[in-house]
Amino acid sequence: MRVPGLRGGVRVQLRYLLDREGLLGPLMLLPAIIYILALVGFPLVLAIAYSLSDVTAGDTSLDNFVGLDNFSRIIKRPEFRRALQNTILFVVVSQVLIIVLATTLAQILSQDFRGKAVVRFLIILPWAAPIALGTIAWLWLLDSEFSPIDLILRELHLLGPAGLLGRDAILGTDTNLVWLGRERLTMASVIMVHVWRLLPLSTVILLAALTTIPRDVLDQAEVDGAGFWRTLFQIKIPLILPIMGIAILFGMILTAGDMAVVYNLTRGGPVYYTQVLPTWSFFIGIEGGSLAQGAAVALFLLPLLLVVTILVLRLARRSEVT
Amino acid sequence: MAVVETRGLKKQFGEVKAVDGVDLSSKEGEFLVLLGPSGCGKTTLLRLIAGLEQPTAGEVLIGGQVVNGLPPRARKIAMVFQSYALYPHMTVFNNIAFSLKAQGVDKAARQEKVEWATSILGIDKLLQRRPRQLSGGERQRVALARCLVREPTVFLLDEPLSNLDAQLRASARDELQQLQQRIGITTIYVTHDQVEAMGMGDRIAVMYQGQIRQLGTPREIYDEPGDTFVATFLGSPPMNLVERDTHLIGFRPEHFLPKGVPEVQDNLVTFSFPVTRVEYLGADRLVYGVVAGTSGDTKTMARLPSTVTVPIEPGGDYEFVVPAKELKFFDRDTGLRTGPKPL
Amino acid sequence: MAQENKPRRSIFSWALRKAAWGLALTVATGLLLLAACGDDEEAPPAETPEVAPTVVEVPVEEFPPGTELKLLQWSHFVPQYDKWFDPFAEEWGDDVGVDVTVDHINLADLFPTLTAALAAGEGPTMIELIIAASLFVEGVQDLTDVNEEAQRLFGPQIDTCTANSYLPTTDTWFAFCHGWVPDPGDYNKALWSQVGFPDGPSTWDDLLVGGARIRDELNVPIGLGLSPEIDSEMAARAIIWSYGGSVQDENECVTINSPEVIEAVEYMAELFDKTMTDEVFAWNAASNNQGLIAGELSYILNSISAYRSLQKIDPAASDDIFFVPALTGPRGDQHASAHVWQIYVIPNYVTGAELEAAKAFLLHLTANYNQATFNSELYNFPAFKSTVPQLYETFESTQFGEQPSWLDRDPFGSRPNDKLKEALSTAEDWVTYLGFPGPSSPAASRVYADRVISNMMAQVALGDKTAEEAVAEAEATIEEIFDEWRDKGYVGCT
Repeated sequence: MRVPGLRGGVRVQLRYLLDREGLLGPLMLLPAIIYILALVGFPLVLAIAYSLSDVTAGDTSLDNFVGLDNFSRIIKRPEFRRALQNTILFVVVSQVLIIVLATTLAQILSQDFRGKAVVRFLIILPWAAPIALGTIAWLWLLDSEFSPIDLILRELHLLGPAGLLGRDAILGTDTNLVWLGRERLTMASVIMVHVWRLLPLSTVILLAALTTIPRDVLDQAEVDGAGFWRTLFQIKIPLILPIMGIAILFGMILTAGDMAVVYNLTRGGPVYYTQVLPTWSFFIGIEGGSLAQGAAVALFLLPLLLVVTILVLRLARRSEVT
Repeated sequence: MAVVETRGLKKQFGEVKAVDGVDLSSKEGEFLVLLGPSGCGKTTLLRLIAGLEQPTAGEVLIGGQVVNGLPPRARKIAMVFQSYALYPHMTVFNNIAFSLKAQGVDKAARQEKVEWATSILGIDKLLQRRPRQLSGGERQRVALARCLVREPTVFLLDEPLSNLDAQLRASARDELQQLQQRIGITTIYVTHDQVEAMGMGDRIAVMYQGQIRQLGTPREIYDEPGDTFVATFLGSPPMNLVERDTHLIGFRPEHFLPKGVPEVQDNLVTFSFPVTRVEYLGADRLVYGVVAGTSGDTKTMARLPSTVTVPIEPGGDYEFVVPAKELKFFDRDTGLRTGPKPL
Repeated sequence: MAQENKPRRSIFSWALRKAAWGLALTVATGLLLLAACGDDEEAPPAETPEVAPTVVEVPVEEFPPGTELKLLQWSHFVPQYDKWFDPFAEEWGDDVGVDVTVDHINLADLFPTLTAALAAGEGPTMIELIIAASLFVEGVQDLTDVNEEAQRLFGPQIDTCTANSYLPTTDTWFAFCHGWVPDPGDYNKALWSQVGFPDGPSTWDDLLVGGARIRDELNVPIGLGLSPEIDSEMAARAIIWSYGGSVQDENECVTINSPEVIEAVEYMAELFDKTMTDEVFAWNAASNNQGLIAGELSYILNSISAYRSLQKIDPAASDDIFFVPALTGPRGDQHASAHVWQIYVIPNYVTGAELEAAKAFLLHLTANYNQATFNSELYNFPAFKSTVPQLYETFESTQFGEQPSWLDRDPFGSRPNDKLKEALSTAEDWVTYLGFPGPSSPAASRVYADRVISNMMAQVALGDKTAEEAVAEAEATIEEIFDEWRDKGYVGCT
């Protein structure tokens, strides 16, 4: 029987080619695969090749295999241990702070209150602003001489020669805290800027996660007599744990791989006490011209991030509840 | 003394009056059903009683005490949500024991109570499972067990059967009612399903637009509807309403039978009934047609049990009768029930 | 098809023709600057630079159509320099048929940009760096011909420039250095007068004694950076050299672990302790300038750019700023690095007419260096002294007759107008370079890039290490770096 309007033939079949999932699927995935190969795979292979050669900024030909020389050279440098330690320390401490603060902020933002839109805008601002611009603003806020933070502390008589009630000021009698000139304070400043920068992302992720918790479950907890903390720690956090894991993973990768904060804020100083692997890699690889050693330093990030990623993804899968 | 009582209870969300002046009083140990279409305010009323919402006006009393401003946990209530709201990350045991932990009940007592509640509901083998490993019926029982262990003064149930498939729902209905009778706890049950309401409720409060339109036993609600809303909301198919001057005459389709079928022959009111369609449903036949009203024809239905074998064909014009005592009269403008009117 | 044969031109002919232009331009510039300074009537008039009499005819052929010259350089500390330079380069291009473009970037981006260009194998024709480019020696053109030509035309080049462009180990000229910037001490006369040094410190010991009194009595510290950045590196090296120490010797053997260096490091720690505040650990390239302008530092080691800024912002305050030459060490050694250099490199990927045009432009720029020096407000000093006689010697002005040299009478409104003379006229005697007394080899540059010296100093000043420990640790790192480049054949002392 001939059905009116129904036609066969190759041309018509071609028209419906994209309806085939077996074809459409790979086709849609292709850009992502190309992207990963071009922007992740190729640089990674290149970095490994560089780290095993003696390439410099002036001579990028991979004609000289030097084995693990570059690695043994950088491991001997005192900066290396410090950069490795700092990378881990900054990542861990900033993530702990970020998760605590982001959870708090997300809690607040999931409530209804006046001016919520303004608060939400202000919180997202650091993420929207380019990181270089942000750190330059921080550079000024933390300036040794002209820091507005110091100025406020002095006005409050918490710092400087004029203390309160005839006593010395709590934060010392110097006129400035020298945020970026004192080892611990500088490390704290770097962590603070990382927290400031990534807090919006984590807050937004956790806020979205909190909204996925069914209203009934929270009502049930209320009926069951759970107070704020019990609800937070026994209901909300376990339920958003997989998404929180992703937020932590993102935060860790973005912090571990970031060079803008340290580069713009301290350039590794004082001495090399705030150096991290990405900045040190840049300094010796690009400014010091030794692409091979720069690549070797950067590659130390790889196992670190790999371990973090595997751990977090496993955690996320384990606590998957639905 | 009423277990749960509301006085002039109102709740407004912006412009919407979700609950609009409800006075309700439940009796000790009764199974009270709040019945109404979706959006009628029945769930909001339940949440007001639970303390999950704060009323705009009016009072909620539990055990004779005003509980406005008290949090849910201080109201000695237990609630089952439509979704059961089990904690997905906890085992069945922990789900049930959660409220006990929050109350600071010690471990041994928790164990004992959970075992008691789960054995009543027959889920004592499932304690170490997680909610996603349970069937719908099992989840519902866990939710009930969670209520039981708290030994509340009132159960609040929000459409607890609506997530079950039809077959399961019938048996669950039965079990739920038995359970309630066995433990004798006052229960307020919200549903939009009239079969559940009729089958389980000691009394039914029919709600519409934030107000209780009628409160009574299932028989009162069905047989003596207070207004046209109640009359047409209950019954399947609903009550026929035919306009006559300033009032409406209501009669249920199962009382609308071909002339000669009712055994009692006196006191029948006869209608001319041109039939447009007939549906054969096995146990019943539904006959569709029109009955002449004051301002035109009114679509009307008759439900004939399969025992009535009178042949009825679409296009035919038949004489149908209703026993006069089955006719209900309503005011055309207000919709309220009135006394019998001459026809 | 035959190329149209254009007449040959000479640098001399267009130099003469341009003289009128240059004159007009610089007069206008000088007047504008004076207006900007808000100087009173007592200020001497800005003198116009005269075309150097030593300009020698260099034949330049017209370049084939489409020849490009893309210059990439830093945004000069003295904004006027860029305003002069860009049209100067473009006009030369118009004359010789080259399409010239000039891009300016932040100085911190110079090395990264060069690295990127070399890796990509394309980019600017010439990049101007501010410090020895020997790290890039494998990726840039050998410029022996243009260096030799410049020396033939303009006479000997100053050592500090040669050291930044010539690698003796391989006998290659890998760069062309056209200018250098002296790095004198800038001190606040009002403060130093109060502690008995009206003419400022002249030895490192003076700096310690006077600086300590000024901090203790007048509450103003001195500002020598102890941070991983350029100014701190230069200050640290100046002290080491003046104490008789060095990173390497003439033969490129590492000599950092010496009693002299340890003494210098100990001196720096004491200097920090008695005269400075913790802010020096957070020093950056702008800190000198900010501190001096804010009047919060009694002494800095810097070019005159901070002073030039202060002249425009607060002329009265700038009157208190005076200059001293490099400070002398305990055994009479007196050395300080140049502040920066102006060094062009041409990447290997540049070829043909573009390469020839680049080299021709280098000679043209050098021939007209009096304009460069003038328009940088005496910030740029010439690599070839003969090209800017006005800087050092009295000269004939077509308009004003015989004039004192620019250093004798600052054309940019200093009060007194000879205040630059003492420190800057002797600068070529004490100026050194990265690697001094050895060459600025790739290894020496890498030691600088890795901030080994400033870190060594800072750790001792912070009390984290003894001078001996810090120097030994630095030695290990430096040896490692030298070995690496020795293996590649760019460093001697094998």
